Amino acid sequence: MALREIISSGNELAAHAAIDAGCKFFGGYPITPSSEIMHELSDLLPEIGGTCIQMEDEIAGVACAIGASMSGVRAMTATSGPGISLKAENLGLAQIAEVPLVVVNVMRGGPSTGLPTRVSQGDVAQAKNPSHGDYKSITLCAGNLAECYTETVRAFNLADRFMQPVFVLLDETLGHMHGKAMIPAPEDTKAGIKPKKEFTGDPAEYKPYGVAQDEPAVLNPMFKGYRYHFTGLHHNDTGFPTEEIETCRKLIERLFNKVEAHQEEIDSYEEYMLDDAEFLIIAYGSVSLAAKEAIRHLRAAGIKAGLFRPITLWPSPAARIKHWTDKIQKVLCVELNMGQYRDEIQRASARLDIDGLFKVNGRALSPYEIVEKVKGM
Amino acid sequence: MARTLMRFTGVGGQGVLLAGEIFAEAKIKAGGYGLKTATYTSQVRGGPTVVDITLDDNEIFYPYANDGEIDFMLSVAQVSFDLFKKGVSEGGTIVVEPNLVKPTDEDRKRWNIVEIPIITIAKEEVGNVITQSVVALAIANTLMNAIDRQILIDTMLSKVPEKVHALNLKAFDLGEKYAKEAMNK
Repeated sequence: MALREIISSGNELAAHAAIDAGCKFFGGYPITPSSEIMHELSDLLPEIGGTCIQMEDEIAGVACAIGASMSGVRAMTATSGPGISLKAENLGLAQIAEVPLVVVNVMRGGPSTGLPTRVSQGDVAQAKNPSHGDYKSITLCAGNLAECYTETVRAFNLADRFMQPVFVLLDETLGHMHGKAMIPAPEDTKAGIKPKKEFTGDPAEYKPYGVAQDEPAVLNPMFKGYRYHFTGLHHNDTGFPTEEIETCRKLIERLFNKVEAHQEEIDSYEEYMLDDAEFLIIAYGSVSLAAKEAIRHLRAAGIKAGLFRPITLWPSPAARIKHWTDKIQKVLCVELNMGQYRDEIQRASARLDIDGLFKVNGRALSPYEIVEKVKGM
Repeated sequence: MARTLMRFTGVGGQGVLLAGEIFAEAKIKAGGYGLKTATYTSQVRGGPTVVDITLDDNEIFYPYANDGEIDFMLSVAQVSFDLFKKGVSEGGTIVVEPNLVKPTDEDRKRWNIVEIPIITIAKEEVGNVITQSVVALAIANTLMNAIDRQILIDTMLSKVPEKVHALNLKAFDLGEKYAKEAMNK
């Protein structure tokens, strides 16, 4: 696949990815540090017959994107952590009703309005469970400029495949940094789109939620003669609310199964200089850039360090994490939060001795801070 | 070329961001790697703003300039100068707008302080204060010899509307002229 060179910022690349992935609708509300995504799409979407709406607030932004998705088009919203908090109720609705949607979160310092212009990775745990109730989040995390494009594209494809919201986590550093990215040509991105499943039989026979226990719902576009009931309540195979014991159990179990049974379609990670590594650094997002630079310094000093970088954060690539934490004794998790993903590394590795380097003051972690930490381990 | 780290600082609203973007893009067009990051406060205007520019022939991962390694800084606001000067390596060059930034004697011993009235040049000689970022761009490149002059000019012109090309070329030429004069002092 031929790659093209683009000089841009992470936010702009995410916007262009949406267009190339066939997105036709954006609903949102401006918030630093994600606003450039909406700004760019307000130019790009009308050019291709799409729609970009700045709604009255964050809640309306996600609600109209869910509505657009139900009409059959690929839809997206973008925000930062405070916006996700406001959108949480509707994200739960999209989870239980199985509406595909791409949600980009360009992370800034929190909680609450926090540090509006400063970098953070404080929304990693939130992305796993933004809304109440049980469901299985799919969360992708870009680690460089090119992935702001490729992971947004992948999010659209996974949302249609698994019929649920898919998160793309960027952070202020990635969203705003400006440089070179080698990304696929638009035609290659388009060629990778698989049409969403649609029921084509007799409309009277249409049962959108009547699917196998490891498969997502089949929601036909609204207004085309295939009727179904849409609700946030537990529902039966036609979508009508029910409290029938077995139906309720099977619905929630299926929301888990549809993801867990196909994890190999979702897993994604990078392994950097790990083959002979005696120090395992685990980092994701923009922090992985500092980690790679730190590994260069460490290796130059004769210290064999390597990086495991999860790209799909949820569900985590747990088996691969365990593979490396079984093999390498000294493990350091580096994050711009208080260790939200280290909890997952501890779970996946079944080890409680995973070291951490955490920073929560809105400033980036420098490569030298990582070098010093590793040297002291 | 080894890594070149430059830092442009000012306060929000002064337009220091654009120069960084032009530098990074010109280096990429010249066949290398360039990254620009901006750090600013949540104040719309008046908060200290810093733009880091990293240029290298090899791939760059970490996009910020590490404190103590910065080769060149340009500052058009006292608050930003005071906050960010410590990032410049000893003996490194700091260009300041002398009407807005007053370095101490201690500063002058530690760094090569170059005083060029960037904003006055843009306002009075070019005729539009907005062109200060292009004046700054030309000063930085002349003092650092970072990028082929023509590639930088072409990149700059590609980022500004055509109707102001002549104005920005004038700004670039003036920046160059003042930088050369400062070097010969």
